[in-house]
Amino acid sequence: MLADVLREAEMRWPGNLYNRVDARSGEIECAPEAVSEICGWLFSEREYIFACLIAEERSPDWELRYVWYGAGDDGVIHVVARQPVAEQTFASLIGRVHAVDWSEREAEDLFGLVFQGHPRLGDFVLHDDRWNREVTPMRKQVDANAPLVRLLPEREWRPLLVLNAPGGFAMPIGPVYSGVTESALFLLETQGEDVIRCVPRLFYKYRALEKLAEGRTAAYALLLAERCNGTSAFAHSLAFCQAAEKIGGVNVPSRARALRILLAELERFRHHTAAIREICESTGLAVGASEAAILEEELLRLSCQYTGHRYLFGLNTIGGLTRDFEIGPCLQTLEMAQSILRRLERLEQRLRRTNTFVDRIEEVGSVSPQDAREFGLVGPIARASGVARDLRKMQPYSGYENFSFNVPQEQAGDGYARLRVLFAEARQAVGLIEQAVSALPLGPIRAETAHLAPGAALGWVEAPRGAAFHWLRLADDLTVERYHLATPSFLNWNGFHLATENFSFQDFPIILATFGLSMAENDR
Amino acid sequence: MILSGALLILFFALCFTGIALAVVLPQRHGSFALAVVASLAAAAITGLGGIVLLSGNSFQCPLWTIPELGTLSLSIDRLSALFLVSAGAVFLAASVFSNAYMQRYVGHYSLRSFSILYYALLLSVTLVLITGDVLAFLIAWEAMAILSYLLVNYEHEREKNIYAGWLMLALSEMGTMAAAFSLLLLANHAHSMSFAGFRGAFHDFGPGMRWAIFLLSFFGFGVKAGLVPFSVWLPRAHPAATANISAVLSGVILNLGLYGIVRVNLDFLPISLPGPGLVVLIVGSVSALIGILYATVENDLKTMLAHSSIENMGLITAALGAGFVFAVDGHTVIASIAFVAALYQMTNHSLYKSLLFLGAGTVDMRAGQRNMDKLGGLMKFMPWTALFLLVGALAISALPPFNGFVSEWLILQSLLRSVELNSIAIGTVFAFCAAALALTAGLVITCFTKAFSMIFLGLPRSPQVEEASEATPSMTVPMGVLAVLCLVLGVAPTWVIPVLDGALAPYAVSGATQALVPPFLNPATPGLPPDFVHDFHDLGAQIGAGIVPASGLVVLHRGGARNPVVFAMSTAYMLVVLVLLLAIVFAVVRFWLARGRTAVRRPLWAGGIQQLRPEMTYTATGYSSPVSVIFNAILHPGAAPETREVIYEHFRTEIRRGDREESHILDRLIFTPLAQGAMAIGNLCAKMHNGKLNTYVTYVLIVLLAVLLIR
Amino acid sequence: MSRWVLSGLKTGIKTTHYPAQQEIHAGVSPGLPVTGSAEGRTAEICPTAALTSSEGRIEVNYRRCIHCFRCVRSAESAPLDWQQGYEWAARAADRPALETGAFGRSLNVLVVDAGDCGACLSEIAQLTNPYYNIHRLGFFITPTPRNADVLLVVGPATDQMRAALKKAYDAMPEPRRVVAAGVCALSGGIFGPSLVSGAGAADVVPVDVEVPGCPPPPLAILHGLLVAVERKPSAFLSSPSAPANPVEAAP
Repeated sequence: MLADVLREAEMRWPGNLYNRVDARSGEIECAPEAVSEICGWLFSEREYIFACLIAEERSPDWELRYVWYGAGDDGVIHVVARQPVAEQTFASLIGRVHAVDWSEREAEDLFGLVFQGHPRLGDFVLHDDRWNREVTPMRKQVDANAPLVRLLPEREWRPLLVLNAPGGFAMPIGPVYSGVTESALFLLETQGEDVIRCVPRLFYKYRALEKLAEGRTAAYALLLAERCNGTSAFAHSLAFCQAAEKIGGVNVPSRARALRILLAELERFRHHTAAIREICESTGLAVGASEAAILEEELLRLSCQYTGHRYLFGLNTIGGLTRDFEIGPCLQTLEMAQSILRRLERLEQRLRRTNTFVDRIEEVGSVSPQDAREFGLVGPIARASGVARDLRKMQPYSGYENFSFNVPQEQAGDGYARLRVLFAEARQAVGLIEQAVSALPLGPIRAETAHLAPGAALGWVEAPRGAAFHWLRLADDLTVERYHLATPSFLNWNGFHLATENFSFQDFPIILATFGLSMAENDR
Repeated sequence: MILSGALLILFFALCFTGIALAVVLPQRHGSFALAVVASLAAAAITGLGGIVLLSGNSFQCPLWTIPELGTLSLSIDRLSALFLVSAGAVFLAASVFSNAYMQRYVGHYSLRSFSILYYALLLSVTLVLITGDVLAFLIAWEAMAILSYLLVNYEHEREKNIYAGWLMLALSEMGTMAAAFSLLLLANHAHSMSFAGFRGAFHDFGPGMRWAIFLLSFFGFGVKAGLVPFSVWLPRAHPAATANISAVLSGVILNLGLYGIVRVNLDFLPISLPGPGLVVLIVGSVSALIGILYATVENDLKTMLAHSSIENMGLITAALGAGFVFAVDGHTVIASIAFVAALYQMTNHSLYKSLLFLGAGTVDMRAGQRNMDKLGGLMKFMPWTALFLLVGALAISALPPFNGFVSEWLILQSLLRSVELNSIAIGTVFAFCAAALALTAGLVITCFTKAFSMIFLGLPRSPQVEEASEATPSMTVPMGVLAVLCLVLGVAPTWVIPVLDGALAPYAVSGATQALVPPFLNPATPGLPPDFVHDFHDLGAQIGAGIVPASGLVVLHRGGARNPVVFAMSTAYMLVVLVLLLAIVFAVVRFWLARGRTAVRRPLWAGGIQQLRPEMTYTATGYSSPVSVIFNAILHPGAAPETREVIYEHFRTEIRRGDREESHILDRLIFTPLAQGAMAIGNLCAKMHNGKLNTYVTYVLIVLLAVLLIR
Repeated sequence: MSRWVLSGLKTGIKTTHYPAQQEIHAGVSPGLPVTGSAEGRTAEICPTAALTSSEGRIEVNYRRCIHCFRCVRSAESAPLDWQQGYEWAARAADRPALETGAFGRSLNVLVVDAGDCGACLSEIAQLTNPYYNIHRLGFFITPTPRNADVLLVVGPATDQMRAALKKAYDAMPEPRRVVAAGVCALSGGIFGPSLVSGAGAADVVPVDVEVPGCPPPPLAILHGLLVAVERKPSAFLSSPSAPANPVEAAP
């Protein structure tokens, strides 16, 4: 219970502000020194899950907001600390909560904050071989449109390698590699045959999306939210809209809420089909990959035929949807989705019976439940490692609480478990589409009035790859003051190296495919 | 005869002059004097050997008679002349190389003592090859063994070197004892200390005596030749030795072991049983395979070359073994082909291995590093050394048109002729050995592509490498000369084979020239169908026949009437065709395809990474790790000790892996159990000494009783 | 294994006949706005300033249109003509023409992701699926620039990908073409130019063919490749003279 947690926290650390914002969310305002202890307690004793770290430069103060969530009544807790802008040093949480690792590194790179005690700061979002360490693009005084002063890096970049062995070396893969792939650099540390460790170097595609949103209208920022990742555009636009709707107190009509679920699940279905195709491709199973690709293309055409866009762009708007769907197209969509699902299930049967395929993904890239929890993994990857985290269940939105579905879960944590989760979720998604279509309420698809107000709110969705959080703060003139996205790829890339310890080199594409993460979603 | 004698006297005079100069001259001029005088001396023995080898006149010279022991004498026949020539060539190159190379030791170690030991080694090696009686031979042999120990141990301040020296000395002394014992047995039976008296004196030996002599001498000389299982000293001695001594060790000293084996089993007591021949063949094949396996996974350049020497010695020994078996079986021509192949391989090995060791020394000196994991990219800084080492690597990898190809090809071909043998069992052994040698030949290529590419290609993996610069001409020129010799011996086998065959002429196994380089230009040549002769004539197989009698450019093995040609091969043509093809390709590209276009050099593509760093490039360990995985059962690398440093529970800061505890298969299977057994017996003996008087009294009583009982 | 052969055969042929015939299946393309009356606030509604009004008509700049649909779905805009189709690719005027047959019969394409959102890449990945199967046309995706003929760039060319993009182009042999696909690669889209990214691929490499769309559907990218090797005529990047070959609207 949220109330109990807040009360207990107040008893332990008196003198801080404990606000209960609404039934499902609370805020703890405390001194920067106390953050670490409170968060550590939330994480290890109350089993809250780390969502995101939001750093804001709100003159004259820094505002650091660690967001935590639990299931149901536990709600969402923001732990907020403030200190003057001139004071850039905060204590790192890294000793107590490992999941904050990358969030702190990101804030360090973008704002120039220093997290004392964090062992790996620098060369994260902003690459050291590109920019001087003084560059801090997210600071308010930096102009979003003027190119950053390209200060030359003061020293040569050397990769941070941990392998110290005779004849050890790091085989670089990327940033441009192997066909149609997103850009990232992987350094495979090896002595020759087996790869001992692999750490990705991301953010080659850093587009400063959060910075671009600042000073623009919420409607414009919605375009950015949608395009943070094209393959899960609807989920992200939904999270953004929910944040904006919360700020404005907009009541989304029930028909729009149900249609949003329909579309979100359609997107999930298509995303998982694509992920299955990639896994088949990575093992060299050409026929399986082609069959999945056929289904993927049919889903893309289906989306385009009924919504106008193959990737569901331009559908969400603050307050509802931009267009309505007749019951006919809805039923046809359902019918098509069900027929595609049947073919996908046949593919699943064949894959399960193909030993050469199963042997290649079984016991490959394993992540233990313990690690999944410690590193704060989300989505199908966490669920394949026995950590059943799903925001649709834990903190329902858009009416998911009225739908009956369960969260598929596997214990093995290997590549095959992740594949099984993908299949199960694809099935689940079609089931949800069916429920949405069968009980589609009548009414408008857009709130009559969608006036926004100054303020801040957090919106979240369970995107196809996992939990996504969008933090939106509107200024008095209703322009965006701060926009922050915590994406599932960002949370999960942090744990990628867990699956890439001591594996053989030819398994690398398979591990990559079974993780199915997006660089665009991570880099933003 | 007179010229030979004069050269010999000149040689001795030069050696003693050298020693005198070393004593008199200040240290800083020492290396120059050493280079000049020692290379002149080496040239003298090369000339001496060359005269005897080409003229075919043996050199005999009784020195003085010692009562009771017989006459000390010098005797150079063509066989010893062959060894003398290759030794001289290696000494010549190593001596010139010493001029610049030994500078690095000035001030650290005494150059004076090095020079004296070096001359003494040169003397003793020459004496081993030219003595004509048991006593002088043994004295020279022992001197050679001790001197090579002292020279290997030159950098005596390093702990590891001392251990390597001890091991070398201990095994060498065991070998000397066995060899001496076998020679003395022979001398005893022949009632003569002179080698000349040995010939034909042992007709009445039974198989037991023959086996005993064979085993003793094979062990005794095999230790020096670095054959399995007594090769363990070699990989330890080489890294300890200086580069020039390494070249001499591999190019000369190992050959002396072979010399002993050949001398005893071909000349003194020709093998007349198939068993010893098979033993030689199997030991040789196993040596070759084990040698190359360890060479492939080794990352220290000199240790790698040492393992590769074991492999080459194995190849030569295997060919000798095959020759012995063929000879016993009555196939003297095939036997002679095998022996020619062995001697060819031996000569080649002397040349390219000393080239490689000199190159290794150059790399070590200029780049300050011998570990292939840390080298890389040296081609830019040391182009000539790279070129010569490339030739050496190609030659040792047995790729045409270099010399290694001819000899290794002849070895494999002669092993394949096992189909002529009558016994199926022996044929099977041959098949296995041929397979082992073929695998060896494949692994050699892996081993040396790794060596060359990891040293010279890619990016420098340590800071000293980037500061490396080309060596002085006195270091590169000897390597260049050796590289040219590798090419010459490779393209002119038809000139070399008659010479080698001539060295075998006195023994019952010659005739390879007739089989391999037949004078079939003459249509009257018996044994070949006329139309066949005609065809080959048109092909120009006899080009060059006018220059050296009986030699064309094609080696072809003549069989019987039904199967006139068993195989044919011409490295000279290969070279011509290769050059021609390259020229054609160049011309086509330059004048036709790229006509009117300019070549554009595009930058390196490394996945678009900002800057490719040396730590992102393949290392030697990485290159050879597939081999170490495949041959895990033999190599048996112990688990590397691994420590993982972690902070905050989850941040890996370091995964440290130590060197793998490599136990050599021979240590594992033979020496460690032996040592443990010896220790156990020692401990048992120690227990008997409990210091109590009554125990000792009991021992005395027991012995007394035993003596009484036996009586 | 026979199971896979059988199921593969059972699936039959799915491949489109494009470019021999037009593909008319519903959903292959989201279409593009063409023109319309400039009444109302149509031009102001466009968040990327792709629409301009000229002489009472709307003109569309396809380098900027990101398929947000606001112009057609907003209550404040006048109805706009929306045209299905996909032959959108246009050759840059200032680039030299190719010699005929410069690439022979096959074409190797290197795909460089210079900061796209993933949708463009996903559409490129669809090109090899059985529906489009560009291999039948002799087009192949290659992982290295060394044997690439065409550089297919997506994304606005973020600063951290500039070096890699430039290196990929520099490593390609002549003759070479650059196809920029997606609005981001043409003009920076909604991401550029900004503090950390350029205004499209042309900032870094010379672009020969531009394929508009957000994302351009697979057939549009295919059209771009065909334009690059001059197997198809070029389209125009602004309406109303824009898309050739209209396709029947979806049922």
